[in-house]
Amino acid sequence: NVHILPIYENYHGGYVVIRLALAGHKQANRPFYRIVAAYNKRARDGKYLEQLGSYDPLPNIYNEKLVSFNFDRIKYWIGCGAHPTKPVAKLLGLAGFFPLHPMTITEAERRRAQTELIATEDVLQEGQKEAEV
Amino acid sequence: MAALGTARRLLRTCSRVKNVQRGEQRSVRCGLRTLCSGTRDHALSDNTRPQFTDPAVQDLLTRMTGLDLQKVFRPIKEELKPPTYKLMTDQQLEEAVELATQQAEKLLQMPPLLSERKPISDVLSVDKILDGMDTAKYVFTDITYNILHRERFIVVREPDGTLRKASWEERDRLVQVYFPKEGRKLTAPLIFKEGNLKMVFSQDRHEDVLDLCLVQFEPDSSDYIRVHAATYEDLDKHGKYELLRSTRHFGGMTWYLLGARRADGLIVDMLKRDLLQDAVSLVSLFHMVHPHSESAQEAASQQAAGADLLKIYADKESQKSGYIELALQAYEQLTTKKSSAE
Repeated sequence: NVHILPIYENYHGGYVVIRLALAGHKQANRPFYRIVAAYNKRARDGKYLEQLGSYDPLPNIYNEKLVSFNFDRIKYWIGCGAHPTKPVAKLLGLAGFFPLHPMTITEAERRRAQTELIATEDVLQEGQKEAEV
Repeated sequence: MAALGTARRLLRTCSRVKNVQRGEQRSVRCGLRTLCSGTRDHALSDNTRPQFTDPAVQDLLTRMTGLDLQKVFRPIKEELKPPTYKLMTDQQLEEAVELATQQAEKLLQMPPLLSERKPISDVLSVDKILDGMDTAKYVFTDITYNILHRERFIVVREPDGTLRKASWEERDRLVQVYFPKEGRKLTAPLIFKEGNLKMVFSQDRHEDVLDLCLVQFEPDSSDYIRVHAATYEDLDKHGKYELLRSTRHFGGMTWYLLGARRADGLIVDMLKRDLLQDAVSLVSLFHMVHPHSESAQEAASQQAAGADLLKIYADKESQKSGYIELALQAYEQLTTKKSSAE
C-alpha cells in the first residue's frame, strides 16, 4: 500500500478498509450509513479517504432499503488492496457484485427456522383452545 | 414607448416554468431536450413511413408552429424586480429582435416523441436458499458518475431471494433520488390524475400541464403518453388550438391528430384565422404520413398545389367538408376583393 500513503499519514501496518460509517448522528434512532474507504486505524465516523456509497437500514414507504455503490471506485480500491468488512461484503453479495456471503445464507436459514417454530407454536395453541372449547 | 416595452420583454430571462410554489426565486428551465433519434412505431407502419424526426416533417411542423415573439416571451410569474430599460437605435433594436428570434427558435424546439417503453422483467438469479432473509427489499443502485441513466445498473433483491432488474418506475424514482433533476418530484404531482386534468383543462392551462409533464416524466413512459393524449383530445374536442400555436407542443399535437386522422378541426381553425399556408402545409403533411389514402393519390396524380390541395382533401377525406369549402370560398372572395382594391 506504499504508493497510496499520503505524506502526512504514517501508519505502521495500517491498511485501507471499505466499511460502513454512521452519518447524521444529530438525530437519535435514525441510523444512516455511508459506505466509505478509510484507513483501518481511523475512527469509525472520522476522516475517510473517499465515500463509495450509502446504506439506509430503515425501509421506506415502498418497503425498500436503499443501497448505493460506486462500483467503479470500489473496483479501484479493491485493486489497491482494500479489505471490505463483513457487513459491506454481505451487502455486495446481496447485490450480486460478490458471491453470496455464507453468513447471509446462515441467517436466512435461522430466520426460516424461527418462523416455522412460531407457526407450529401458534398451531399448537389453537389446537389447545379448540380442545378446551 | 412601444419600442421600450418590447425591449424590456426581449431582455427578460427566457425560462419557461418558474417554480412559484417555493418562496425563493427558482427559474426551472424546462428540460431543453435535443431532438432524439427515436423512431415511432405505429400499428400501420411501413419502412417507408415518414417519422417524426424527418427533416421535411420537422420543417413543415416548425412552419405551422409559427413564431409569435409576443407570446413566446410573454411575462411569466416570477420574482418581482424593477424592469430594466435600454435606449437603443433602430439598428440595435433590429439586432436585439434577431437575437430574440434565435432564442425563441431554441425555446420552440420540439420535445422528443417515442413509443411506449416495454416493461423490464429480467431476473438475474433465483436463490431459494435466501428465502425469508428479510422483510424488506434491497435496492442497489450504481452511482458511477460517467454512465447514462438508461444504462445504469439498478437491481432489487426480493425477500424471497430473487435478484431482478428494477422496473421503469423504480428506476425513475431512484435516479431522481441519487441524481436529482430540477423540477422533478419523487412522486408525480396530483395534477396528472384524471379528474384534476379535467379541471385544469377547463381553466385553459394546457400549456402549463404539458410543460410540467415534460419535466416530470420520461418521454417514453406511459404517464407522459397518457397525459399528452388526454391534452390533445381535449384540445381537439373544444377546438382550442390557438393555446398551443406558438409553443413547442404544437408539432406534437399536429402529429398526434394526423396519426388519428382527425385534423379537420385544426384545418378549419387555420382557415378561420386566414392561415392558408399553414393549412396547405398541414394537408401536404397528411399526404406524406398517409400516402395510401384516396386524397394523397388524387393529389399525386393531379400534382396539385395550394388551395387545390385543400379542395381535394375536403372532397375526399374530411368529415367537415362543408366547413372547409365555405371557408375556402370566403378566403377566395377576400383575396379577389384585395386584388381588385389594389
